[in-house]
Amino acid sequence: MPEPTSNYLAALAQLAEKVAVELVYATAGRDDGLLPVNSLLAEMEEIGANSPLLSPLPQALARARGIVDVAFERAAFDAAQVEQLRVWVNWMQHALTLAQAGRELPALPAETAATGAAAPAPAPAANASATPAPSGELPPEEALEMNIESDGDLLREFINESGEHLQNIELGVLTLEENPTDADTLNSIFRAFHTFKGGSGFLNLLPMKNLAHELESLLDLARNHKLTVNSGIINVILEGGDTLKKFIAEMNQLISGARPRGPIVVPAQALLAPVRTFLHGPDSAPAPKAPTPASAPAPAAPTVAPAAPAPAPASTPAPKAAAKTESVGIKDAPGAKPGSNAVVKVDTQKLDSLVDLVGEMVIAQSLIAQDRDLGTLQSQKLARNLAQLGRITNELQRTAMSMRMVPIRATFQKMTRLVRDTAAKIGKQAELVMEGEDTELDRTIVEEISDPLIHMVRNSVDHGIETPDVRVAKGKPAAGTVLLRAFHQGGNIVIEIRDDGAGLNKERLVAKAVEKGIIKPTDQLSEKEIFNLIFAPGFSTAAVITDISGRGVGMDVVRKNIDKLRGKIDISSTLGQGSVFTISLPLTLAIIDGLVVSVGSERYILPTLSIRESFRPTQDMLSTVHERGEMVNVRGRLSPLLRLYEHFDVAPESKNPIESIVVVVEADGADRCVQVDRLLGKQEVVIKSLGETFKRNPSLAGGAILGDGRVGLILDVNSLVKLKTGPQAAVSA
Amino acid sequence: MSTATQEPQTVSNAAATNAGKYLTFVLGHESYGISVLKVREIIRLMDITSVPQMPPYVKGVINLRGKVVPIVDLRIKFGLAEAQSSERTCIVVVQVKSPGGALAFMGFIVDGVEEVTNFGGNEVEQTPDFGSKLDTDYILGMAKVRGKVKTLLDIDRLLTSETMERLAQTAQAA
Repeated sequence: MPEPTSNYLAALAQLAEKVAVELVYATAGRDDGLLPVNSLLAEMEEIGANSPLLSPLPQALARARGIVDVAFERAAFDAAQVEQLRVWVNWMQHALTLAQAGRELPALPAETAATGAAAPAPAPAANASATPAPSGELPPEEALEMNIESDGDLLREFINESGEHLQNIELGVLTLEENPTDADTLNSIFRAFHTFKGGSGFLNLLPMKNLAHELESLLDLARNHKLTVNSGIINVILEGGDTLKKFIAEMNQLISGARPRGPIVVPAQALLAPVRTFLHGPDSAPAPKAPTPASAPAPAAPTVAPAAPAPAPASTPAPKAAAKTESVGIKDAPGAKPGSNAVVKVDTQKLDSLVDLVGEMVIAQSLIAQDRDLGTLQSQKLARNLAQLGRITNELQRTAMSMRMVPIRATFQKMTRLVRDTAAKIGKQAELVMEGEDTELDRTIVEEISDPLIHMVRNSVDHGIETPDVRVAKGKPAAGTVLLRAFHQGGNIVIEIRDDGAGLNKERLVAKAVEKGIIKPTDQLSEKEIFNLIFAPGFSTAAVITDISGRGVGMDVVRKNIDKLRGKIDISSTLGQGSVFTISLPLTLAIIDGLVVSVGSERYILPTLSIRESFRPTQDMLSTVHERGEMVNVRGRLSPLLRLYEHFDVAPESKNPIESIVVVVEADGADRCVQVDRLLGKQEVVIKSLGETFKRNPSLAGGAILGDGRVGLILDVNSLVKLKTGPQAAVSA
Repeated sequence: MSTATQEPQTVSNAAATNAGKYLTFVLGHESYGISVLKVREIIRLMDITSVPQMPPYVKGVINLRGKVVPIVDLRIKFGLAEAQSSERTCIVVVQVKSPGGALAFMGFIVDGVEEVTNFGGNEVEQTPDFGSKLDTDYILGMAKVRGKVKTLLDIDRLLTSETMERLAQTAQAA
């Protein structure tokens, strides 16, 4: 067993000193210093002051926290509490000084031990007063009120941070299902609720504070081995997290003005009842009678969670196990600190402006490098320095671009919960396996891909995976597997959703599509076309429409979202063995490959992806309809001609198509021959929004800074191909 | 319709609320002012990429250190005669608030900037009623300094009215 090192004792002593300093501000009837004291004490606990090696320090700490908790209930200290706290903290400082000197710790102060005993473990005391008659009906819901005027910024920050805590809770719970006694996880959930309590208490968000408090107490018991974590408790914690999430969502809406101001009511009392039941079992019978949770009415939940573990680990509060986790705590604590500092949160606006500036710097650098006057100098030193500048700017640009990239991990992890809930709801067994969670994608893409992914994963479980009995009958394992995989492939990011379920039934798809009038019975479709039918609006093959999926509003939206991200989705499937949905996405939304063309003095950019070919037409390729609609015969295929100079009203070098170049663009299955003067070259450009002013101009998709620092306009091919071309547009309209 | 209902409000408290620091500039032989808090920078005239299918007073866009900023020609906007650009011609870049509340950069071409002046409450007068001939929706008030009159502009509203105008145009075209 590792000796507590002097480093860590010093850290504890420092914390204790900080507590003492904060206590100077504490006065009866006020909450000054309450929050810092609370978090400092929590920090002491976190970095391992609970180690049995430091006995009786843990007791002192527990007493001090007890007092703070009671003070939290009333949102103010009273004189006796401040007095008691000072005694405990003084003792802790003294004890830690001795411990640092390698001496025995002193005994707990006797007279305060007595007063401390008067206010025993904090949680029970608080609960006893807060709990109504357990058998009675639920008390009325508490309304949450915010003071947006004075606390606006604090509230926003609280909401921002809470997202992270909620995610921690959710992830932690999922780990708990596998390993209900995992000390680290219990601690991390406890801490998340604790922080929640602190924050909401500080902002006077009472219903949230109360809920977080109860859940925190529950986890406190669990991590101290006074309560066995079973599926009932796990569900309560999960629901607690969800309820907090609802509060946060409502608050967010209110702050952003999306809903009228007023008290927020989220049903929480129904949840508090079972929590208190869990809490009270162990409280009323402090004897190590472990099976209490079993007798507690586990909220009926048809979870596929592993059966509640045998109460054995808890009923034998083996000192061995306890000692082990504690020592882990000590070892881990100092190491964990630097890790958590490795990430800095940056405002996205700052990030974008950095990327903008770096782009400008690259342009300025290339202007200097190509400067003619400098070129005549013939200086080797200058050339070397310029090359060095070029390397640095390139490196800087790469780094700046990579800062927008985030791993897809968080999005993937959301799916774990989704698969679990969906499977449980429809009585299936499914497991999610993830690969390549560290693959990095542009922030925007990660955010945008989340909804389509949720939909597809849910579909995989709902439609793909069969029920356990069907699976067993087919010789498959009862639990289905959904594999979520991300990887790089040729400048793209590929996300794959693979299930080992029933696969797509081609006959049924075709029959359904014919029934819905999407295709004609006589149509001959390739396998790919058949699979793609599921993206047709209003298409759904699920026999029964569940509340999970099957309404047929999903897959077409999925495809639209992916199109919007300039991505592509492919399906392959083998009947009886499963399906694979492959989404390939560009690495970043910020850059496109463009063809720069000129018309007169103007330059425009066409996205290379939508260009089929470009050539100089000959007279016999051109034809007209009614002398108005012009067409180009591109190898037997007629395509309407769009004279860009006419459309944009600029003076071209030549109005005659045979003296110009036509670029064949296509989008949405339609194509157009766009007449331009010259092709200036291919270039990767960073897309910039043109802002409100030009939002209504359908011809433009955005702007881009060209190599000479001027703005080039990116044309929206989607709208170009839908244009009514030529002067006849005015006639027919 | 809506402008008619909004106008009296703007006018009634114009004098009280419109005191403050203004950047004044010239267009032809008229002098104008905009709240100095809106001004981000003043740059010399540079190459403007023209944007097709926009009203004539929208000159196009420029690259302002990596940001694409739309440029409006105030002369055309105000119906003044077009003028040759001179040494003093420059672009005033302002940060405007769109009706949706979003902040955006916009630039205005002016014949030349004068100075930053502090106008007291008693120097600012209400916009006189020109009848229906002149759209005074975006005029905050008139400032009298040293015997000269300067028109104070509400730059946010200038953008808003533009949006309306363009909307009307697109509606006509459709």
